[in-house]
Amino acid sequence: MIDRIPSGFHPFVLPFLFGMIFVLSYCVFGIVRILWQLPKQDVRKFLLSLINPKIIVKNIWEIFRDCLIHVKLWKRNKLLGYMHSSIAFGWFMLILLGHVEVFLFVPERIHMFYYPIFFNYFVAEGPDVTLQGSLLMFLMDLFLLIVLSGIVLAIIKRVHSRFFGMRRTARPSLLNQIGLYALWAIFPLRLLAESFTAHISGGSFLTIPANWIFRQFLGNDLNMLPTWWAYSIALCVFMCVLPFTRYMHIPAEMMLIPMRNAGIKIRDSRKGFAKLQVYSCPNCGVCIDACPMSVNRSHLKDCTVYLTRQMRRGNEKRIEEISDKCLLCGKCHSVCQVQVEGPQLRIMERSRRHYNLSPDYSNIDTQPLTETASHGKVLYFSGCMSQLTPAIGQSVESILKKAGVDYVWMDRDGGLCCGRPLLTAGRAEAAKELVHKNEEIIIGSGADTLLVSCPICYKMFTEEYHLPGIRVVHYSHYFSELVQQDKIRLEKSDLCYVFHDPCELGRGCGIYDEPRKLIGKSASIAEAEKNREESICCGGSLGSLTLSFAQREEMTRAALENLYTSRADAIATACPLCLATFARYSDRPVRDLAEIIDAQSSSTQKGNQ
Amino acid sequence: MMDFGFTLSKSSTINLDTVDTTLYKKLCDMEPDARICMSCGSCSASCTAASFSGMSLRKVILALQRDQDVRPMLANCMLCGKCTMVCPRAINTRHLILTLYRIYDR
Amino acid sequence: MKENIVIIGGGIAGMEAAKQLLILGYTPIIIEQEDHLGGHVAQWHKLFPDMTSSHELIGNLSDQIKDANVFLETKVNSINALGDSYNVILNNGVNIVAKAILIAAGFHLFDAAKKEEYGYGVYDRVITNADLEAWFNHRADERIPEKPKAVGFVHCVGSRDLKAGNSQCSKVCCTTAIKQAIEIKEIFPETEVYCFYMDLRLFGKKYEDFYINAQRDFGVHFIRGRVSEVGETIDNRVQVKAEDTLTGKPLKVTLDLLVLMSGMVCNPRTSELAGMIGLNIDDDGFLKSKDNVYTIMESNQPGIFYAGACTGTKTVPETVAEARAAVLSIHHYLTQA
Repeated sequence: MIDRIPSGFHPFVLPFLFGMIFVLSYCVFGIVRILWQLPKQDVRKFLLSLINPKIIVKNIWEIFRDCLIHVKLWKRNKLLGYMHSSIAFGWFMLILLGHVEVFLFVPERIHMFYYPIFFNYFVAEGPDVTLQGSLLMFLMDLFLLIVLSGIVLAIIKRVHSRFFGMRRTARPSLLNQIGLYALWAIFPLRLLAESFTAHISGGSFLTIPANWIFRQFLGNDLNMLPTWWAYSIALCVFMCVLPFTRYMHIPAEMMLIPMRNAGIKIRDSRKGFAKLQVYSCPNCGVCIDACPMSVNRSHLKDCTVYLTRQMRRGNEKRIEEISDKCLLCGKCHSVCQVQVEGPQLRIMERSRRHYNLSPDYSNIDTQPLTETASHGKVLYFSGCMSQLTPAIGQSVESILKKAGVDYVWMDRDGGLCCGRPLLTAGRAEAAKELVHKNEEIIIGSGADTLLVSCPICYKMFTEEYHLPGIRVVHYSHYFSELVQQDKIRLEKSDLCYVFHDPCELGRGCGIYDEPRKLIGKSASIAEAEKNREESICCGGSLGSLTLSFAQREEMTRAALENLYTSRADAIATACPLCLATFARYSDRPVRDLAEIIDAQSSSTQKGNQ
Repeated sequence: MMDFGFTLSKSSTINLDTVDTTLYKKLCDMEPDARICMSCGSCSASCTAASFSGMSLRKVILALQRDQDVRPMLANCMLCGKCTMVCPRAINTRHLILTLYRIYDR
Repeated sequence: MKENIVIIGGGIAGMEAAKQLLILGYTPIIIEQEDHLGGHVAQWHKLFPDMTSSHELIGNLSDQIKDANVFLETKVNSINALGDSYNVILNNGVNIVAKAILIAAGFHLFDAAKKEEYGYGVYDRVITNADLEAWFNHRADERIPEKPKAVGFVHCVGSRDLKAGNSQCSKVCCTTAIKQAIEIKEIFPETEVYCFYMDLRLFGKKYEDFYINAQRDFGVHFIRGRVSEVGETIDNRVQVKAEDTLTGKPLKVTLDLLVLMSGMVCNPRTSELAGMIGLNIDDDGFLKSKDNVYTIMESNQPGIFYAGACTGTKTVPETVAEARAAVLSIHHYLTQA
C-alpha cells in the first residue's frame, strides 16, 4: 500500500472532521459537567477507582462485554443481540483495523485522524500484494459485511418489531429518526465508496466484485468522489445529531460503567450520576414489555424509557406523572441492558417535590414500646401490612413455638412503620426519623436477632438501619436454619405450589432460593413462565403513588395469569401485600410461606410434641 | 362599640353558610377520591399513626369540609399504606395525604 | 293443556313460583343443584322480623308443591331457543321443552375468608352469620364458647366493599345482625353484645322496632365504625379494632366470638346461564332486569323471567312477592301469545 495523494487531504473529509470535533468536544464538556455536579467525595472515589488495577480490568471487560458485544441482550433476545453486537463490534473493528492499516502502511499519516476512516481513498495498491495487506482487506470487508447484516436487521426491526419477538418498541422522535437514517446510510455508502475505489486501492471479497460490476455499466471513476462525499456527510450528520439522540448512549455508557464500578450512587435525579444514566438509556424499549403497567395501553408511555426521554426534554409535567405512577417493582432495572436505575431515578424525582407540610415524629414516645424487653431473645417484627393478613403472624408464632424459640413479637399490638413507604415516596428525611425511633426500640429491647417476615421491612432494615450487634434475618433464612438444626421437621404434602417472587424480596434483596427450598421440602413446587428476576409485580405495591384500585386490578390479574401458567394448585408468596392483593382475585388458594411451613412442620422439642 | 368588659365566646356552631371550603375543593380537584369517603372509619381504625397523634383520615376529610385545622393530625402519618389497603371505597388515601401536604399553605 | 314451565333454582323464590303456577294449572319443573329444596332459607333458623321458623315455612311450601316436578342435584347443561320455545338440556340427560323459563338461581354468600384481615379460617373464634344460624339449629360448633363474655357482630362483610368486589348493600345483614344479637342475648343474657356498623339500614316494616328492642330490652351496644383488623390475644380470644367514629377515637375490644355478617354476592352460576341464552348481566354481576322499577321480573329475552336474588339482593318477603309477580308475568306472556 502506498500513499496516492501527496497532500494526504481532500475536502470531502471536512464534514467528517467537523462532526468528529463537535461530538468529541460535546462529550468532553459533558464529562466535565457531570464530574462538576458530583459531590466532592464521589469525584474522589471515582478518580481513585480509575487507578485501581482491579477496577480498571473490570471496566475494560464490562465495556467490551456490554458496549460492544451486548452479552445481556444476547441472553434476552438472540436476534436483537446479534443486531446490536454486529453493528457495535463490527464498527469498532472497522475503526480499529483502519488504524492498524494506517499504522502498518503509512505510519507517517497516523496523526491525521480522518485517515483510518477514509484509508481506501488515500492509498493505492502497491506493486506487490502483501499477505498482511490482503488479510486486512479481507477483514475490513468481513466486518463491513457483518455491520451491513446488522443494519438489515435494524431495518426489519423498525418495520416489523414482532419479528424480534418484541411486542412494543419506543417510538423515535424526529431527531432520532435523522440519526437512525444517517446510521443506516453510513455503511452502505462506505461499501459503495470503497467499491468504486477498489480497482485503485485494492479490496477483498466484497469490494472487488462490486467494483467489477459497477465498472461494467458505470465505466469511469466519476462516481468515486460523490460517494466518498456522501459517506463523509452521513458520518457528519450522525455525529452532529448524536448528542441530541438516543445514540448519546454510546459515549455515555462508556462513562457509566466506570462510575458504577466506582460505587457512585444517585443522589439527585437531575445531576451527576443520574444525568449520566439518563443519557445512557439506549431507548431500546425492552422495559416497555417488561413493565407490569403495560397490560393497559394507557400506561405504555410511563416506562423508564419514556422517563429518560422526558428528563432529557425537560417535560416537567410528564416527569412527575411517570415518577409518581410507577410501582417501583424494579423489573425495568433488572432487564435493562445498561442498568438504568429507573426506580431510583423516580424516587429521587419524588424527593424534589415541594410540600408545604412535613411529617414530624418527634412526639412519638418509644418508651412504652421498648418495655417488651427480650435480652438475648429473638425479636419478631411483622410490619404494618401483616396486621391485615393475620395468617402470617400467627403462622410465624406457631413455628417459633414448635421450634422452642424464645421470642417476643415486637409489633403484635401495632408498632411503628419501618419507613420504607416514606422513603419510596421521596421523603427520606421523615423516613430517617422513623428509622431512629425503631432503632431505639430494637436496641432498647436487648434482643440479638431481629426476625422479619415482610420483605418491604426487611429491605429497609438491611439497607437503612444501623443495629450494631443485632442480626437482621429474613424468615426464609431463619426457618431454613431451624430445619437444618432439626428444631422443626418438614413433611411433604401432595399440594403443588408456584412461588411468586415478591419484588422487594427478589429483585429488592436478591432472595430467590431460600423460599423455594423451604416450599420444596413442604410440598412440590412448580415455576411460572416469568419468575425470579422477571417476576411480575402483583400490582399492590406501595411504590405507586397515583395508580387507582381499578388500574391495579388489571395488573394483578395479569400477574395471576403468569402464575397460572405453572398449573400449580396453589400460589405461595412471602409478602403480606402480595398475599392480600392476589387473594382478592385468585381462583386458587394463596398462602404465605409461613402458613405453608406451619402446616407441614412438626416439633422436635421435648414436651412440645 | 360599647365595652361590656367581656367578649362573647366564638360560637361552636358550624355555619355551613359561611364555612370556607377552598382547601377541600382544591383537594377534590387534585384527588377526586376525596369526595367518595363514607366515613366508615376503616382508615382510622387501622392507622399506624392513630395511637400517637389521633390521626384519622376520616376526620381530616370531614374537617376540611368544615374548615378546621387538620395539620396536627397529618403530621404523624407514616404513609404506611394500611388505610389504602382497607378502604372499602378504594380511595387512594396515600395520594390524598400527599396531595394535602402539598396544598396546605395556610 | 298443561304447559311446562322450567324453574331454575329451588329456593324460596322457585318454590313459591311453583306453588302459584300449580294453582294456575301449569306444570312447573324445578331444577335444583343441591340435594334439597329451600336454598339459603332452609339453612336459616328464624326469619326477621316475626321470628318465623324457616323450617316451617319451607316445610309448608314443600307440602304445597308436591305435584311439581323436581330434579334435585341437577344442573342445566344448555338452553337452546327452539322457535318460540326453549329446549333445556339437563346434566342427567333429560330434555325439557318449555315456552317459559323462570330463573330463580338466587345468590351466593360472600366467602368471609376473602377478607383476610378478619381472620375467618385463621382464628378459632371467628364465624359467619350462616355458621351462627347453623348453630342455632343444631347447637354444635366447637368455635362457640359455652359462656361467652362478649360477642361482636361485624356488618357489611363483603358488602359495600369495592375491595371485595361488591359495591352493593346486602340489605338483610343489618336486620339479621340485630336478630342474631337478640337471639344471642336470649341464650346468654350475661353476654355483652356489640354490633359494628357503618350505617344501620332498617328500612322494612317492623325492622326499626327490632332495633329499639335490641337497644332497650337487650342492651346491645351499637358502634358506628367499620372493623378493620382482628387480632388474637394470648388466651385465644379475639381483639377487634375499629374507629368509634362518633367519638372519633380508635377503639378496641376483646371478644369470645366474632360473627361476620357475610353479604349476598351474585351466584357465579347465573353468568353461565346468562351466557347460554344471551341474558344481560349488570355491572354488579347480578342478572340485569328490563328495568329496576316496574319490570324487575322481566329479562331481555322473550319467555325468560326472573324472581328473587338472582337480580340483586332481596329480603324473603321481597323474594316471595317477586316470585308471584313473575308467575303472573309468565301467565300473561303465555295466554297472550
